[in-house]
Amino acid sequence: MALVAYLFYQMGESSYKKTRLKGDPFISGNRPSKDPRDIHVGGDNLYWGFTHALRKYLDPLVEGHTGIVNDYVYWFVVTLAFVLVFLYLLI
Amino acid sequence: MNWFNFFPLIMVVTLVIMGLYVVLFKKNLIKMIMGIAIIQNGANLFLVSLAYREGYVAPIWTSAPATDMVLPTPHALTLTSIVIGVATTALMLSFVIMLKKHYGSINSDDARRCRE
Amino acid sequence: MNVDLLLQSPVFILGIPLLFAFLTPLADKVSKELRNAVFIIGLLLTALFVSLMAYEVYTIGSWTYVFGAEDPTAITDVSFFRITFLADGFAVLATLTIIITAVGVGIYSFGNMKDFDDLGKFYTLFLLTLAGVMGMVLTSDLFNLFVWFEVTSIASCGLIAYHNERGESVEAALKYMIISVIAGLLLLFSIGFFYGEYGVLNYFLIRDSMDGAFIDILAIGLVMVILSMKASSVPMHMWAPDAYSEAPDSITPFIAITSLGSLFVLFRLIFFVFRGAVEPSSIGNLLIILGVLSMFVGVSMALKQSDVKRLIAYLSVSQIGYMMMAVGVGFATLGTADYGAFGVNAVEGGFFHMINDGVYKALLFLSVGGIIYAADTRDLNRLGGLAHSMPFTTFFFIIGGLSIAGIPPLSGFSSKLLIYKSVYLYNPVLAIIALVVSIVTLALIGKIFFNAFLGPDQKIGMKIPRSMILSMGVLTVIIVIFSLFPNYVVSEIIAPAIEALGVAV
Repeated sequence: MALVAYLFYQMGESSYKKTRLKGDPFISGNRPSKDPRDIHVGGDNLYWGFTHALRKYLDPLVEGHTGIVNDYVYWFVVTLAFVLVFLYLLI
Repeated sequence: MNWFNFFPLIMVVTLVIMGLYVVLFKKNLIKMIMGIAIIQNGANLFLVSLAYREGYVAPIWTSAPATDMVLPTPHALTLTSIVIGVATTALMLSFVIMLKKHYGSINSDDARRCRE
Repeated sequence: MNVDLLLQSPVFILGIPLLFAFLTPLADKVSKELRNAVFIIGLLLTALFVSLMAYEVYTIGSWTYVFGAEDPTAITDVSFFRITFLADGFAVLATLTIIITAVGVGIYSFGNMKDFDDLGKFYTLFLLTLAGVMGMVLTSDLFNLFVWFEVTSIASCGLIAYHNERGESVEAALKYMIISVIAGLLLLFSIGFFYGEYGVLNYFLIRDSMDGAFIDILAIGLVMVILSMKASSVPMHMWAPDAYSEAPDSITPFIAITSLGSLFVLFRLIFFVFRGAVEPSSIGNLLIILGVLSMFVGVSMALKQSDVKRLIAYLSVSQIGYMMMAVGVGFATLGTADYGAFGVNAVEGGFFHMINDGVYKALLFLSVGGIIYAADTRDLNRLGGLAHSMPFTTFFFIIGGLSIAGIPPLSGFSSKLLIYKSVYLYNPVLAIIALVVSIVTLALIGKIFFNAFLGPDQKIGMKIPRSMILSMGVLTVIIVIFSLFPNYVVSEIIAPAIEALGVAV
């Protein structure tokens, strides 16, 4: 069995043509660059379609995280008010 | 019981609302820290006014009159709170000094490089 | 071994970090090696006393330690007017979670921080934070809780701003400081409400005298919001990504542990103190709302991040949501037949997830710290190909990442399965949300893995110190142990904790 597999492998191996592009990464048909940093798809490009499809939901959420410390306190006070009203109504 | 008994509590509510207003709506970081100090004073006043009992004496055993004494827990709590308040205020102010050196501003709108 | 010493262990858990916190700067004057030795001895002694306390609790049962009494373990009329510590199953669960991460982070700091000077103060703040969190989970007195709360805030803000040559670190620390000081002051108000109404501050006495009046609701609401803020629950989570991403790499899991510590305090308070005075469904539903919001918003915000530490910070916010939701379901069913049917399993799942979360989150943050140490960047757009040069870190990241995503053989799966099963019986929608969040978490772990480790070798990696590898290895071994024996962990650690809260079936 292993022998048969090896024979098949040898058949393919002998007909392998060593051209320049074979085995290189394929990025949209462009000639791949030599810098490894350009070959690696990563960072914000990964899941771009997913986040782009959800942008109506995600963008307001990101806008909400303003990074201003007054807003942090604001959310704290708002949650406090919500929790107190919630508990008062239910107990 | 007359309305005068509630005077400290009214003051507490006033102080807390003033402090929260400053922290929420003033963009100057030093002013925000001052607002926190106002809330802190409100909290201390609240604890001290809770501890007051009419006709009771301070819990010092040396030559004390033979009447009831107040429980010293709230006073201890207030003292602790004042000490902690000094520490936190100093730490926050030193952070603001460093922030001023790095960002050149003490406005909270400018101190938002960490966001999203 | 002297039995008295074992019963005194709660004091040593606090006293040793406090003592060694101020010994390290002194030792620093002599030499760096001595300072490191003093620090690690303090950490390991604390771990020793945590295990002694665990041994004692599991063999002879829980006890109350009264400070300043002639016999610290005897309960008299005045005991509860003193400061008391409660050593029971729940305290053991909390201290174990904290100390595992603390030891891991401590060993890691040796390698990670070795290029910085002035480390004496760094270790001082580290041990002070450790003492603060330990005090928060061990104490059974509201006054004492406030003190440890503030100690934790101040020391951990000092740690966050440790790299004060960077403006962002100072900014994150200032933001966290402002919000936690306001929270501390409101905690003081809620303590005042309790004192004003009942004249006592001890958990036992408050529990016995609470009657659910309006003031009680005010105080309970304040305490819940404050502790959920500390636990970085949405919508009060915004300090967490700032602080987690700007803190030194080795400290980030430790800041996360202070969050878990306050969550432990929250659960202790609602189960142990507030349970009799309130309608269970109200607090339970509140926890469920906060938990679902945390899970969902946390993972959504993580989708948009390109800073690797911020991404994991948002994932950790979403993990906090799991625990709040699970324990909320348990609390909401309290006192009904449903509690015996599935509520107790929800609480078990939540507590098990807390101890798991402490370990795997530490492993994730530390392996990411390894990436940052090697590649000198946190930007996912610039990382890549690190698996070629860092095989160990890659392996540790995979273990931590699969555990946070809840992939079957690992410990995160066991606790998440308990949560899914029990929450599904309460409300199927909650279980579906939890599953979706879990899937997105897996996708995000895949994103970090693909970005940072896969791809062609960019030759940006440099060797990371051995102590960093060692600490990640220790945490991995603990995750593997939890993964292999989840039944044992639930029956030996989680069940006594639930029993200690008085809600065992």
